Amino acid sequence: MAIQLKSEASKGMALSAPATLYVGLLVAVPLGILIVYSFWTQSYVDIDRTLTWANYIEAFQDPLVRHLIVRTIIIAGLVTIATVVLAYPIAYFIAFRTKKQTLWLLLITIPFWSSYLLRVFSWKLILGFNGVLNSALMTIGIINEPLTFLLYNEIAVVLTLAHAWAPFAILPIYVSLQKIDRSLHEAATDLGCNMYQAFIRVTLPLTVPGIIAASLIIFIPTVGDYVTPALVGGSEGKMIANLIQVQFGAANNWPMGATLSLLSMLSVGFVAMLAVFTMNTAGRRIR
Amino acid sequence: MKTTLGKMIATATVISVAWYGSVYAEGSDLTVFDWSGYEDQGFFADYMTKHKTAPSYTFFGSQEEAFTKLRSGFTADLAHPCTDATKKWAAAGLIKPLDTSRLVHWDKLSPALTKMDGVVVDGKVYMMPFEWGNTGWIYRTDKITADAVSLQLAVDPEYKGKIAIPDAASSAYAFAALGAGVKNYANMNDEEFKKASDFLRKVHPNIRFYWSDAGQLDQAMASGEILMGWAWNQSELNLQGNKVPAVMMRDVKKGIATWVCGYVHLNSSTQSDEQVYDMLNALSSAASGKYIVEAWGYAHANTEGLAAVDPKTIKGYGFDKADEFFARSLFFDAVDPKLEAKMLKEFERIKSGF
Repeated sequence: MAIQLKSEASKGMALSAPATLYVGLLVAVPLGILIVYSFWTQSYVDIDRTLTWANYIEAFQDPLVRHLIVRTIIIAGLVTIATVVLAYPIAYFIAFRTKKQTLWLLLITIPFWSSYLLRVFSWKLILGFNGVLNSALMTIGIINEPLTFLLYNEIAVVLTLAHAWAPFAILPIYVSLQKIDRSLHEAATDLGCNMYQAFIRVTLPLTVPGIIAASLIIFIPTVGDYVTPALVGGSEGKMIANLIQVQFGAANNWPMGATLSLLSMLSVGFVAMLAVFTMNTAGRRIR
Repeated sequence: MKTTLGKMIATATVISVAWYGSVYAEGSDLTVFDWSGYEDQGFFADYMTKHKTAPSYTFFGSQEEAFTKLRSGFTADLAHPCTDATKKWAAAGLIKPLDTSRLVHWDKLSPALTKMDGVVVDGKVYMMPFEWGNTGWIYRTDKITADAVSLQLAVDPEYKGKIAIPDAASSAYAFAALGAGVKNYANMNDEEFKKASDFLRKVHPNIRFYWSDAGQLDQAMASGEILMGWAWNQSELNLQGNKVPAVMMRDVKKGIATWVCGYVHLNSSTQSDEQVYDMLNALSSAASGKYIVEAWGYAHANTEGLAAVDPKTIKGYGFDKADEFFARSLFFDAVDPKLEAKMLKEFERIKSGF
């Protein structure tokens, strides 16, 4: 006879057990290993397993780490702002202005049909020294020599990431716009709001959760990105993840790599919470 | 608890690596951990005659990647690092000394190579040198004349954004040591290290990018995006093959470096020594040497192999002056571990403008 689960709670537990186990094994355990590693130190080819704060002290004293973390947060912040600002009108259009919503959503996912690496390389082709953009501008006669500020700097990183992450911003914002009760908009118009006022005071505040979701989905992974800065960032566009990669690779200093990973996680967490708080407050204020 | 943790990590890695490796394992029992391309059967024809099936190959993209993978439990019989890595690999207990009496071609290998630091570590032979080549200053001959070119042009403000050097600390410091006139690249003292670092700092504003794959450098050189770059002779061949007017500065007085790579016997080896040495002997034969020069444009360690190639070809690649190179160029020796750590750290700073 089948086992009968008695309470609602135990049913819930049973249902969530696979996911809990999965997350526990694949997130909590590696995170634990990372934390333990960060308190060890590397001595040439071996790991010294005495617990110490040495890595943290070194990382805090190193201006390079500070510089890279700040730059990483700025780049990720710019990517987030650029993506959300550009994505909002598209999401708005799909939610309110078109009847072919499925088609539009499908079109938006098209960039995902090619590999991320290929998309980064295409940006390299577009922005490169003899790339599409430079060749086009030279053919028209606007410039005589190829522009070199297009590639290998922060701008190239922001541009590439903003393009790559666009669908991740459009979808959550679209969902939050979709949920808005249309009668609220009518009510606002009845009460004397013009289009612009209705948007600012009704639509926008109601989509704050969508904007927050989109921002977090973009901000957190971009902080950890190292492929994009490595390919299009040059030395000006290097981010903290590139330094972490060096620690785990060439420098063969896993403990330091673990420390830097944890520090960047903490700074991301802090900045993300601050951003959520600010956006929530702002959302409530404008109403 | 600590050991359990270590075991868990090792097991997880081994499982994933074993799964990955199985995709490739279709040759004989012998396994070789190598750079991609070296599975070319022309390199070990004698082994094929004797054993019929080729060894199975697994590839690495950089020596650091290979080191990390081997440290986390990956096993193979032979591996193919370069001399600058052997000291570290030996210290980590990854490789074992070779029995040179079982290497039938050992006496025919260039003595400059068989005695060098990195082939010999702590008085024991750990590596059978296989191929060598140059890392040097490649420049566009249509923009810079052979007389004018020098490593010091790298700090000339006129070439702002026209320079590329490798995104690898040891290679960048070899370049800087030559550029700043520092000797003993592998054992620089504090003052010499500072001199080399300052040179790199002065080069930094002129750098278009620090290259991580040779293709990136080749393309930039071909398009004129950069005019000079510190790179392998493979890039020179590639550029000339594509009719780009570029050449490597081969003047030992102006500065050129030599790299030497070879095969090491891994401690994790599971196959019989007989098979391992059969493979090593096949790789070091004169026939293999002739093939690698003709088909690949790399120089082989076997002097008879080089002698068997058409002298014109040898001259074209600049291998005719091998003795001069060995005597006067900078070798990628095994850098002192403490110095290497310092280089890595300082290089990251320099790249970020500190």
